[in-house]
Amino acid sequence: MSEEIVKIKGGAAGLQLSFAPQADFGAIEAELRRRLESGSGFFLRGTLVLLPPDVLQDNERTALQKMFHKYGLICRVARSEAKTAVKTVKKQPEQQKQAAPPQPAVQEMVVVNRTLRGGQEIKTPSSVLVCGNVNPGAQIIAGGSIDIRGTCRGLVHAGAYGDTSAFVIADHLMPTQIRIADIIARSPDKQEKTERAERASLKDGKIVIEPIER
Amino acid sequence: MSKIFVITSGKGGVGKTTTTANLGVGLAMRGQKVALIDTDTGLRNLDLLLGLENRIMYDLIDVTEGRVPYKKALVRHKKYETLFLLPTSQVKDKMAVNPEQLVKLCDEMRKEFDYILIDCPAGIEQGFKTAIAAADVAIVVTMPEISAVRDADKIIGELGRADKDTIKLIVNRIRPQMVEAGDMLAMDDINDILSIDCIGQVPDDVKVVTSTNRGEPCITMKDSQAGQAYRNIVGRIMGENVPFMKFEKEGFLARLKHVFGM
Repeated sequence: MSEEIVKIKGGAAGLQLSFAPQADFGAIEAELRRRLESGSGFFLRGTLVLLPPDVLQDNERTALQKMFHKYGLICRVARSEAKTAVKTVKKQPEQQKQAAPPQPAVQEMVVVNRTLRGGQEIKTPSSVLVCGNVNPGAQIIAGGSIDIRGTCRGLVHAGAYGDTSAFVIADHLMPTQIRIADIIARSPDKQEKTERAERASLKDGKIVIEPIER
Repeated sequence: MSKIFVITSGKGGVGKTTTTANLGVGLAMRGQKVALIDTDTGLRNLDLLLGLENRIMYDLIDVTEGRVPYKKALVRHKKYETLFLLPTSQVKDKMAVNPEQLVKLCDEMRKEFDYILIDCPAGIEQGFKTAIAAADVAIVVTMPEISAVRDADKIIGELGRADKDTIKLIVNRIRPQMVEAGDMLAMDDINDILSIDCIGQVPDDVKVVTSTNRGEPCITMKDSQAGQAYRNIVGRIMGENVPFMKFEKEGFLARLKHVFGM
């Protein structure tokens, strides 16, 4: 083999994959599977693997994601934006751009590096990232979306100024109420702790919660 | 250099004053020089729990308003010679003391004592703000009950806002059988929400009531489970590594005793 079909580069965010331009998907998949099975030191459980953007078809991408998931790795498509820039400024994710009405290209993001406790409130026209829990009695009211790296038990309102494409993500999403734009959903009266990260968004005028990878 | 603790909870009736009295007596039993300051002005109880009501001459308000030096207002415990109580007034209200006055007083008392424990009133108003002002460490007391945990969470937030970053948790009045049956919040659930360092788990114990009425904290009773839990907390406060008590076994024993009518 003169040229490697799959190249792996380690970065701050995770492993960046790149594929040889002429390689067909079957060969890429086989090569990746071989490497995963060989127990190469690259692929530790929990590692984030980034696929190159705009190279794969949708079904090919899902196939790879499934395969990585089987080996305990997290697989995502690299976004064109720089990962490190997320701290202060977050661009709209690609899939959002298509669905949503024209939006400003750059959106401010508020980062909260602590647990929000009962009685505490974050109110902002931008999006919110919480590195901590949102406890019962706490409130987040955001013009954009809300991402909680922890357990959400409080009240979250995304798209508070009418953005129906806003969403709420949490590692454990069990809020007292979710509001997106002008739609309100409350928690079931008996709620179990969820095992997987979930995402709440608006679909056909209803708030829908679905599990996500992260 | 002494350490100043504030014992607080937000919700009333979870056992702030009981905890203050027990920890005070416990530290004194281990030879530490301890001052207890009651800041629950208008609703003072700490003197009752220690059985010292009839010895009070002056109170906190007399001291902060400069009528007497604090040493004159201190009441020495009848049994533990290194334990002192600075009672508060039963006739004034919380507005009678402000945070600056208490900080000034504590700075003065620091030189004399190994430990100063401040008993905080319930609520998050003026009385709370005054009580926490001088503290190095805040001890939040809660119960395995949803409203008490919610209020503890709020208090932890308020403490953070007042830049009190060293916060410890005591979970009081745990009923092991109820926890086992799923009728009461388990420690894991509480830690999950509050996520602060827990230094004590105190079981619900009828001896606490009898000891309160007698004015002798249950930490002195050898056969009291709550007393043992408080002794463990005292050890942890003094920097020892004391493992947590296991309740399941005792719950079972207690049930056995019940069967045999003991």
